[in-house]
Amino acid sequence: MSAVRHISEAVRSGRTTARRATLHAEELLRRADAKGLNAALDWSPEYLGSEAGRIERAARSTRQALPLAGVPVAVKDNIATLDLPTTCASRILDGYISPFEATAVTRLRAAGAFVACKANMDEFAMGSSTEWSAFGRVQHPDFPDRVPGGSSGGSAALVAAGVTPVALGSETGGSVRQPASFCGVVGVKPTYGRVSRYGLVAFGSSLDCISVFGEKVDDAARVLSVISGHDPHDATSAELPPLSLATPRTDLKGLTIGLPEEFFPADLHPGVKAALDHAIEQAKALGATVRRVSLPHAKYSVPTYYIVNPAEAAANLARFDGVRYGKRDGGSQVDLPGLYRATRGTGFGPEVRRRILVGTYVLSAGYADQYYHKAMKMRTLITRDFTDAFSAGIDLLLTPTTPTPAFKAGDKTEDPVAMYLADIFVAGASLAGLPALSLPVGRSEGLPIGMQLIAPAFAEAKMLAAAAAFEAAIDGRREVR
Amino acid sequence: MTWETVIGLEVHVQLKTRSKMFCGCATSFGDPPNTNVCPVCLALPGALPVPNAEAIRLAALASYALGCTVHATSVFARKHYFYPDLPKGYQISQYDRPLATGGQIEIDSPERGRVRIGITRLHVEEDSGKSVHDRVPGKTAIDLNRAGVPLAEIVSEPDLRSPAEARAYLTAIKQILVAAGVSDCSMEEGSLRVDGNISIRRPGEPLGTKTEVKNVNSFSYIEKALEIERGRQVALLEGGGRVEQVTQLYDSSTNTLRPMRSKEDSKDYRYFPDPDLPPLVLDPIWLAQRKDELPELPDQKRRRLMERYGIPAQDAGVLVGEAALADHFEAVVTAGAEGKLAANWVMTEARTVWNESGGIEVSAPRLAALIALVQGGTVSHQSARKVYTLLRTDPADPKVVAERLGLVQVGDSDQLGHWIDEVLATFPAEVARYKGGEQKLIGFFTGQVMKKSGGKADPKGVGPLLARRLGG
Amino acid sequence: MSIGRDDVLHVARLAELKVAEHEVAPLVKQLNGIVDFVAQLAAADVPVDTPEFTVGPVRASLRADVVAPEPLARSAERMAPDWQDGFYVVPRLGHQEIES
Repeated sequence: MSAVRHISEAVRSGRTTARRATLHAEELLRRADAKGLNAALDWSPEYLGSEAGRIERAARSTRQALPLAGVPVAVKDNIATLDLPTTCASRILDGYISPFEATAVTRLRAAGAFVACKANMDEFAMGSSTEWSAFGRVQHPDFPDRVPGGSSGGSAALVAAGVTPVALGSETGGSVRQPASFCGVVGVKPTYGRVSRYGLVAFGSSLDCISVFGEKVDDAARVLSVISGHDPHDATSAELPPLSLATPRTDLKGLTIGLPEEFFPADLHPGVKAALDHAIEQAKALGATVRRVSLPHAKYSVPTYYIVNPAEAAANLARFDGVRYGKRDGGSQVDLPGLYRATRGTGFGPEVRRRILVGTYVLSAGYADQYYHKAMKMRTLITRDFTDAFSAGIDLLLTPTTPTPAFKAGDKTEDPVAMYLADIFVAGASLAGLPALSLPVGRSEGLPIGMQLIAPAFAEAKMLAAAAAFEAAIDGRREVR
Repeated sequence: MTWETVIGLEVHVQLKTRSKMFCGCATSFGDPPNTNVCPVCLALPGALPVPNAEAIRLAALASYALGCTVHATSVFARKHYFYPDLPKGYQISQYDRPLATGGQIEIDSPERGRVRIGITRLHVEEDSGKSVHDRVPGKTAIDLNRAGVPLAEIVSEPDLRSPAEARAYLTAIKQILVAAGVSDCSMEEGSLRVDGNISIRRPGEPLGTKTEVKNVNSFSYIEKALEIERGRQVALLEGGGRVEQVTQLYDSSTNTLRPMRSKEDSKDYRYFPDPDLPPLVLDPIWLAQRKDELPELPDQKRRRLMERYGIPAQDAGVLVGEAALADHFEAVVTAGAEGKLAANWVMTEARTVWNESGGIEVSAPRLAALIALVQGGTVSHQSARKVYTLLRTDPADPKVVAERLGLVQVGDSDQLGHWIDEVLATFPAEVARYKGGEQKLIGFFTGQVMKKSGGKADPKGVGPLLARRLGG
Repeated sequence: MSIGRDDVLHVARLAELKVAEHEVAPLVKQLNGIVDFVAQLAAADVPVDTPEFTVGPVRASLRADVVAPEPLARSAERMAPDWQDGFYVVPRLGHQEIES
């Protein structure tokens, strides 16, 4: 039984209480902090205590069962919470407490869950290793010298370390699937627009999706169904009811699974290859038809992504100017441009500054056509590849989540492009706005390896049901060679 | 050889909505600073814009009122620049796919008569906040109540040929938008703002380098500012110089322009489609309904008044200039007055009252009754004006008021004859000169009779009687 | 090398980011790496009539014109770095710097 189901049923039936759930979360957070994981940012026993009281009152006053009663959720620090700071792991927002709450958090809390802690991340979600946090890097829970992936590395590490059974992360270009793969947990990115972005600090607005980590597929699915559904505060939110979950499958009969050849390069890491080969064998054994397909524009995903994303990021981060909130730098004698430049120049870390500069460059006079507009056309072609595959009878695409298992801290911080290439298999679904997930399918020298499933838009239920079948058939902790 | 002036205007009008363009904050004017603000218009991290349906409806109406084509799909774009009253660091506007394009209006040019002015485009955008420079010593204070208020930007073709014509265009735009119910167009409250582009050339030559005139907050100032800039350009070119692209700020206290010191990069706005907002897609049926919803516009009204009531174009133009007066005029005619007379009264007496108090005060039936008294010779035109003034506060019937004041004209020949005899007896020398051939003295005698009667003598009766007495 | 020192300083000005002198050379190198990498798109064959991608719903859903501001759990004043008499306060702007 999944942890989320176990906890919520226990709290609903009275076998345990929300109070005990928050005290347990407190104990686990203390231990994780002591271990030096650095995955949790803000949390407080007082706040956890007040949440326990709130959930108990809610349980008494509502006749409807709270689907997530007593479930602790780690929330990435770029998702607005009312009682804990929301800093995006940036100095520029150090200590900032949002005066409004993200829709996803409101829905979680209304369902009986509580925010256990805010989770560390790459500053403003820019990074693939959670080394770019202003508050220090997050350790991989099993290999302290390695990275947990990013940018939602704090959320992934907390779930992998067993601190919380589920966590909210955010995806812009793989920032949940990639750390899920590195940490050996489930990471689910919904269709763009399935979950409201209201309260998610914008990074790449056309790409951003609040996404979910879980120990198991069922954990993530239950949380996703609570936070999904139309929100009038987000003009890009799909006008659909909350996701209703399909019965988990035990086989894959009748499904056609596509293997895009561009995602299985010759130089794929041998451990990754072995784990994926095993997963593909299992797919066949479970009754799926497996077909090779081609997504010819997929090779342009990363360069396209690293034009669109910085362009949107540069615009989205213009609001951090030291005028209305956040940190102001420059001293009392400075003029206005001096204030801006000092506040932004010292408030943002190195990767954020790079993205802002690149994003400004690709939109600036004389370059916008060559870079931004070309990339937005390429994005159409990349998306068409996916929709063509799906309309040709493919139900789900199966790929590795990452080209390698978790790399060592410091390996890629000096080379931005090498870091960007960690997103090579995850960027495509983000550009196309499609739902996708990463599922642990084995380990290589102890390092977790993830398999990615990509589904047609709004086909999360089908994708999650199939993932549950894989999960039941494959021991994700098994060493592959 | 003369210079031809080429002017195009960019007009920003506030759309008359209750809430802001992208959030639920009130648009009310004059509230304490930073009280109509929320996560969206403060650009807090995580806040998102959602467009206001009423702003789109009003913008579509405005577009049709200006003869534009409204596009079924238009796109919101981000326009980037840093300024402390621009919370997001970009303004949500429209760029390469505006709501509407290709309109035109007719205006009365002081120099060229009736001319057509092209409307390049109309797009929807949000306003910025307000920077106050004299509030905190040595600092600039920012009020974000205006930030996010919905605006339509209306860009004209460079079809205007003089500063006075620019002013006439603005007057026409204002009349159209007020009539369409789209905007209050109040410059005092900042709901109408204007930037001008001006260049000069020799007739027939290509366009000269244009400069921009900004910061102008009344129709007469835009005319003055453009006059100054035209003069400056003429002087430059005639002195062998060149016009450089520059933005000029107008200072009404000194009636001067000064160039804006602008950063070299300030024009690189880095527009791109706002990824927070899907395309604005408008249903063709909905658009057709908006077109039908348009009330009668000033130009249509002007034509109709001329045709139906037989009044001159000049009069119709004046009446249409203030919708309430045009309505009043029609009501006065409906109450029985003759068109031209009604127009005269409404354009003079009623308009004076309107300008004073913003009200009509003397109702249409009473004005019609008063006009009838003048036409029937019961009161003189001069007396009727006195009566009109009293009618503003006195609810009595116009005839009763005239009688009470003793302003009813006397047409009775005995009484008139009596006054005439007295006058002729008082001025024997003039009578002698008249009889000696100075016929024009008839006017003098008439005036004296009117004076003697205290204005009550009916001039139509005085003339013939006087002529008979003098001749006999 | 597609990006030079002047480009870095130019975009830093546009983005209002202070870049210290010793940071310029490393930034030139890094930005070149990034821009050269993404420039591989230039070689990609993209038909000219390809529409640009739009995300999310095909049309924006609109809100009714109702005054209903989202409440602020903490006041604007509490969040502001500098606030006086109800106003946000910034260093003095000359009138000549006023933009639209």
